[in-house]
Amino acid sequence: MIKKRLFSVAYMFGLTLFFTAVVSGVYELNRTQIEVNEEIKLQKIVLSVLGIDVKPGIRDAEIGEMFENRVARHEREGKTVYQGFGEDGKTLIGYAFPLTGPGFWGPLYGIMAVDPQLRQIQGMAFYRHSETPGLGGRITEAWFSGQFVGKKIRRVGKEERHFSLVPAGTATAENEVDAITGATGTSRGVERLIDKDLKDYVPWIAQQRAKGLI
Amino acid sequence: MAKSKSMAIFVSGLWKENPVFRQILGICSALAVTNLMMNTLIMGLSLIFVTAMSNLTVSALRSITPVRIRMMVQTLIIASYVIIVDILLKAHLPDISEALGPYVGLIITNCIIMGRCEAFARHNTPWPSLLDGVASGCGYAFVLLTVAFFRELLGFGTVFGVRLMPGGWTNWTIMVMAPGAFFMLGGFIWVARSFGPRDGEKPEGAR
Repeated sequence: MIKKRLFSVAYMFGLTLFFTAVVSGVYELNRTQIEVNEEIKLQKIVLSVLGIDVKPGIRDAEIGEMFENRVARHEREGKTVYQGFGEDGKTLIGYAFPLTGPGFWGPLYGIMAVDPQLRQIQGMAFYRHSETPGLGGRITEAWFSGQFVGKKIRRVGKEERHFSLVPAGTATAENEVDAITGATGTSRGVERLIDKDLKDYVPWIAQQRAKGLI
Repeated sequence: MAKSKSMAIFVSGLWKENPVFRQILGICSALAVTNLMMNTLIMGLSLIFVTAMSNLTVSALRSITPVRIRMMVQTLIIASYVIIVDILLKAHLPDISEALGPYVGLIITNCIIMGRCEAFARHNTPWPSLLDGVASGCGYAFVLLTVAFFRELLGFGTVFGVRLMPGGWTNWTIMVMAPGAFFMLGGFIWVARSFGPRDGEKPEGAR
């Protein structure tokens, strides 16, 4: 009896070891390609929130080229900021910075772009999340991120919040946008992280600008 | 192995005991990914691969796997193959991987695969098990591609991205949303079952 049980445990252990080794092996062989794809995806998102046109059929090599020519990435004091340039490669058209924070099921990762004078939002997009498809997952949809485009950056109310996510259809004030129906947890998370990152980055970018660093 | 037995396994998986419209398994993904034929094709091929390889592996290990833990073992095997497919898609077909999203991972939960492992692979030799896996996977892919054909054609006017509908065609948007999927699948099950034997009757040449 004990021998049978022992065999089951040993068998399961050995089989698990074998299969996880095989899966890890396949992952290792493909890791660099996956990382390249992730990088390209990030570059596409940064380009699009900065308002740089990315045509649908574009090839990966062209994305890399466009990113080289039109975006400059700076990492300083633990913060990352992207400068977007116009067609001439010199005129500043905006700043982009990462958004991160807890969502409902897991962390949310996005990019937000603001105009060079740091007065309004130019674009926003989420590129990685673990939210429920069809509910929290809708943060990646154009209608959701599109609500923020053109909104002024200012703090409102006692808590000095930048934006409030309110029940869909009830947004009235300038700083209110529609939350996602059925995704309260995700919407709260988005509200909090946008507020935190705007408070974190906008003054810092202004400071860096004043010093002539970006 | 006798040719007729291979044929019997194949015809069974593809039509007589089709996992989707006969056994009503794998419905979740059948509804979710069928709004575009390209996504459906990749999903179908992934499922054929996973079902075939899982069946093969379960069958190869059938004599040494302790009966009490067989389901854990099956789940481990199925999950490993699905993750391998997910990694390969992320690396080589990133756009389709994005489009399919969580549904690739959900192949692990697809009842068809574990169903075949339990019902067939556990009691049969590797080669017929592999065939059975391929056959069930093809049966699933066949239903999905048919549903996707109508959904993409009526909902987007295209098939595999190639425009087929005339210029003046107004897209039936409902076809690319959940209700359209339900209507198409229900319709397919109704039509397909009208051709086969009624429930309760013995299908000719039953396994």
